[in-house]
Amino acid sequence: MTEFDPRIIAFCCNWCSYVGADLAGTSRLQYPHNVRIIRTMCSGQVFPSYILKALELGADGVMIAGCHIGDCHYVSGNKKAEERFRMLLGIMKTLGLDARRIRLEWISASEGVKFANTIKEFAREIKELGPRNGGKE
Amino acid sequence: MKQIIRNTKAYYCVECGKCTGSCPVARGNEFFSPRLIVERALSGMKQDIEGDRELWACLTCEACSKKCPSTVKYSEFIRGMRKMAFDSGFTSRCSQGGLLHSIQRIHSIKDLVQDRLDWAKDLKTSKKGEVLYFTGCLPYFENLFSAFVSPIEIAKSTVKILNFAGIVPAILQNERCCGHDLLWTGDSETFQKLARLNTEMIKESGASRVVTSCPECLRTLKLDYADLLESTGIEIMHISELISSLMKNNGIKFNRSGIMTYHDPCRLGRHLGIYDAPRDVIKSMGELVEMGNHMAESSCCGVSAWATCESMSKQMQVNRLIEAKSTGSDTLITSCPKCLIHLKCAVHNQIPVEKEKVDIRIEDLAVAAGKALAGD
Amino acid sequence: MTNIGIYICHCGTNIAGMIDVEELARKAAKLKDVSVVKDYRYLCSDPGQDLIKEDIRSMDLDRVVVAACSPRMHESTYRKVLSEAGINPFLLEIANIREQASWVHSEKEKTTEKAFDLVRIAVAKVKKDESLESLPADVIQRVLVIGAGIAGIQTSLDIANIGYEVVLVEKEQSIGGRMSQLGKTFPTLDCSACILTPRMVEVSTNPKIRLHTYSEVEEISGFIGNFHAKIRKKSRGLNPDLCTGCGECTARCPTKVPGEYDEGMGKRKAIYTLFPQAVPNVPVIDRANCVYITKGKCGICKKVCPAGAIDYELGDEIVEEEVGAVVVASGFDPFDPTSKEELGYGRYKNVITGLQLERLLHTAGPTKGEVIRPSDGAVPKRIAFVQCVGSRDEHANKYCSRVCCMHAIKNALLIKEHHPDAEIFIYYIDIRAFGKGYEEFYKRTQEHGIKFMRGRVAEIFEENNGNVVVRADDTLLGMVMENEVDMAVLSVGMVPRSDSAKIQKLLGIATGSDGFFMEAHAKLRPVETLVDGVFLAGTAQGPKDIPDTVAQAKGAASSALGVISHKVLELSPLISEVDERLCRGCGDCKDICEYGAIELITLDSRNAARINPALCKGCGACTVACCNGSIKLRNFTDTATFAMLEAVLGGEA
Ligand SMILES: Cc1cc2nc3c(=O)[nH]c(=O)nc-3n(C[C@H](O)[C@H](O)[C@H](O)COP(=O)(O)OP(=O)(O)OC[C@H]3O[C@@H](n4cnc5c(N)ncnc54)[C@H](O)[C@@H]3O)c2cc1C
Ligand code: SF4
Ligand code: SF4
Ligand code: FES
Repeated sequence: MTEFDPRIIAFCCNWCSYVGADLAGTSRLQYPHNVRIIRTMCSGQVFPSYILKALELGADGVMIAGCHIGDCHYVSGNKKAEERFRMLLGIMKTLGLDARRIRLEWISASEGVKFANTIKEFAREIKELGPRNGGKE
Repeated sequence: MKQIIRNTKAYYCVECGKCTGSCPVARGNEFFSPRLIVERALSGMKQDIEGDRELWACLTCEACSKKCPSTVKYSEFIRGMRKMAFDSGFTSRCSQGGLLHSIQRIHSIKDLVQDRLDWAKDLKTSKKGEVLYFTGCLPYFENLFSAFVSPIEIAKSTVKILNFAGIVPAILQNERCCGHDLLWTGDSETFQKLARLNTEMIKESGASRVVTSCPECLRTLKLDYADLLESTGIEIMHISELISSLMKNNGIKFNRSGIMTYHDPCRLGRHLGIYDAPRDVIKSMGELVEMGNHMAESSCCGVSAWATCESMSKQMQVNRLIEAKSTGSDTLITSCPKCLIHLKCAVHNQIPVEKEKVDIRIEDLAVAAGKALAGD
Repeated sequence: MTNIGIYICHCGTNIAGMIDVEELARKAAKLKDVSVVKDYRYLCSDPGQDLIKEDIRSMDLDRVVVAACSPRMHESTYRKVLSEAGINPFLLEIANIREQASWVHSEKEKTTEKAFDLVRIAVAKVKKDESLESLPADVIQRVLVIGAGIAGIQTSLDIANIGYEVVLVEKEQSIGGRMSQLGKTFPTLDCSACILTPRMVEVSTNPKIRLHTYSEVEEISGFIGNFHAKIRKKSRGLNPDLCTGCGECTARCPTKVPGEYDEGMGKRKAIYTLFPQAVPNVPVIDRANCVYITKGKCGICKKVCPAGAIDYELGDEIVEEEVGAVVVASGFDPFDPTSKEELGYGRYKNVITGLQLERLLHTAGPTKGEVIRPSDGAVPKRIAFVQCVGSRDEHANKYCSRVCCMHAIKNALLIKEHHPDAEIFIYYIDIRAFGKGYEEFYKRTQEHGIKFMRGRVAEIFEENNGNVVVRADDTLLGMVMENEVDMAVLSVGMVPRSDSAKIQKLLGIATGSDGFFMEAHAKLRPVETLVDGVFLAGTAQGPKDIPDTVAQAKGAASSALGVISHKVLELSPLISEVDERLCRGCGDCKDICEYGAIELITLDSRNAARINPALCKGCGACTVACCNGSIKLRNFTDTATFAMLEAVLGGEA
């Protein structure tokens, strides 16, 4: 049996978290290969349905990353994301999916280290949880 | 495509345009014509139909089928066309960014273990039993729409009424979406999965009767699960039918108050012909004043399957509320959770008419009945 | 038919060292709709760019995916490549296989696999991308400046001197603002009028500046490059074009009332100018106090005016102006200390504010520069300054007003210079001498024997002789001290203009929790607001001294010039748009938009949302708020996202 290799999707906002991920790159910080980044303009542009769609299609973990509260390039997109994330947590509960499969993180353009560490931690946690299709959560 | 045309008797179409003339969508949306879709199908224009966004605009409300002189089964025709389009990679534009459709597809995961019964904590329910209450997607609607409506109250009220009548219904911890929305937006593969999972659980529960709050669940279980449930003899009924029979047979009574009018959901009315049961219940709770468009002439709430919501939908909803308000009733009763959500959504923020014209309480039948139970 | 070209960059060994480029190319070539895949050592180099251009032309490619470094590095480079080769620059996607793959992973096989996923995502996205054209908008090359204190004056002069037109609107009858009320200014002690008056004259004579005094902006519509303003010019009760400013009317007017400009320390006439150097030097009839207007008697000014300018019936005038940018320089109000009851302001005659003292010290003020106390006109010998009145106070304003420490020190020094025997006490909690030359200035006052008492004044009460007693805990000695003085001066802080909410609404700009107008970014964008084309200058944005005010004013000038020096502005096409046919007109999107970019319009019998492309910033918040998907953010749509997810998770492209 091959080892479980989680599939993680990260929606990163253009102005902070995507740049933070770039910084992790330019600083040559190593982190697990499992994550696939999709660039969004702002965390407030991420539909809750993107997260469920990713889970539906078999992602084992999904992350939304944006600027720290107060730093959103569009003033308050991240606050909107936070509200919507709460609704998502409710849906996750009803679906019986572990809430740890979805994450909302604030990662600034200067936090390459935080980006790398977050992915490390997330990948480890998802490995512990097992594949999304595994059921019994 | 030929098969669909044959099955739905579309080849009988005489291109008279009666359908387009009676279609509520065509009234507000100049690009939509039921007749033209049939005509294009008859001339074999498959790609043309698949790529047309109007294919998803039909409400499948059956306002046309009821009038078609050639008895073309129009909504089934559309359903078939959508499946064809879906299989070629086209999809409908869905509300909430497709959130509900994703939830429904996640339901088709075999090992899913949901946590959906919070609402039943203080009520009497069981795992197995004579009567099974099929909740439908209410817990999820609560997750999504609690800002302006509380759909879960429908489930609570339903079980409350059943308990009052001495019935402890079975509810399924892992009930799946009945698949209605996916079936009507072309994804029949996932529908099949859901149907199989549900029928298995229903059979396991030992129920001989399944009650639903939602006319869409009702239609789906009754007609679209027919193959799967056929041999079981299980009776599928709407809560309005059950309450109405409890009134007759168990002497259940309601406190009377107020004037009410009633909105017939398409699935309950035109699709299944259930018009009297909800009216019986309403009449025992208060005075019923009908709107001009009622029973088979009822207008649709404007959206189906969480797809096809557009400006015209809102116009239909606002018009419906104006009609309801003008009956002088203080409450508009409906017996479909989705109708409830759609009608409430229509007035939750800006409306194009004065507020007084649409200012009427909108309530689900079971919720109203739950409140009015005499001797509770 | 879609014809996609994929170009993989080796970036020397930066990418090729950790990613099997050949394998990646092989896999990518199998993706649907991909016509060509090529790799190159340095794709961003000229030959690399030419390679793409040639393929576009010779193979009729209509979309391009570049797998290379972060789009933040070279997205614009490759967009230009597409343009030059004749296809729309927005039909490009970049797979970031360097920063997101080769630089952060160390297993070649897995990294190559991930790179392929990133390419698949990019291919799925590029298929959904639409051609976009940036929207050109004509710019009205003129700036509106609201408020003509030193900030507004400086901004206007800077813009006019570069050669662009300015419309300067001042609410009061003369320009000059608070600075014109000041006597000598810290830390250099030059007289305020001496440095301000020449600038005021410059404003009045500069042909590029159209000055509207005694005027207020009533309405502003439009957006960056194209604002339309309605300005109400209040009636002065006389024809300013005829008036020569001779002053005969003021001299002969029999009515005297307390002067606001003197902060109530002196009296003025019912027809008056604010101060002798007023610009324009044209009086105003105070309609509330003019005996002719209120009672129909008198009419002396009309009789004596040699120019025949007086016209009691003259009404307000509305003028309309078109501008491309707006600078808000509406300044501050002094904090009204009446609410601090324990300090007795308004009850005890000899408790005055710093600005009142300023008027007394002003050589052109009501006492010609002599400091006397209000109760009996005596020259006070013992004076207490009470710091932080209404500032650094949870019950009033939390912030520090920044000028009061220096202002008290300056006035203490001035009084001491006049009356070396005067005893002066400054009650403070911290002395903030942050500016250039301020600490040195502070030192000087200490040498003059001014007494600094560390403790916040708890209470002031009056003695029968009019003296006031200041009670405070001297925190350095740990003793509560009562100190009888001839006069107490409250160093009141700055607060937002009482009518600033009006300007805020007019322009849709934000205010911070302190009530001052909010800048777009506390550190990096201190002059911009969140509304494009609207800038801030001076104390309208927060308490400041004159040097900081002028510095910001110059910043605002250059920012405004940055807008209006262009004839045409290219608006980003990466914005949201409404499908009006789908729109339910609920207004949820309008409510969520931070930029007021959305309005509800009426179509037949229904509402629909409409986005102003000049105001939309493309954040996408509204697209999520819309329940039925009527709005999409161009090239960041849900269908594109679903396609990307399907490509990477569903294993297709
Ligand atoms: C008592 C005191 C003493 C001070 N002493 C010193 C000192 O010695 N040295 C120093 O560096 N700083 C000093 N300052 C600070 C200095 O006064 C300010 O930094 C400066 O005056 C700010 O200029 P401004 O243009 O921002 O605002 P203002 O001077 O307030 O000018 C704003 C102008 O806008 C006009 N306006 C307001 N609203 C509208 C409207 N809606 N439409 C049109 N026009 C409008 C006002 O009438 C006014 O003319 C002192 C401040 C105080 C309170
Ligand atoms: S994208 Fe953002 S800025 Fe543009 S209209 Fe929508 S909410 Fe407003
Ligand atoms: S939220 Fe959507 S439906 Fe509502 S007004 Fe805006 S665009 Fe129209
Ligand atoms: S731009 Fe980063 S969260 Fe809004």
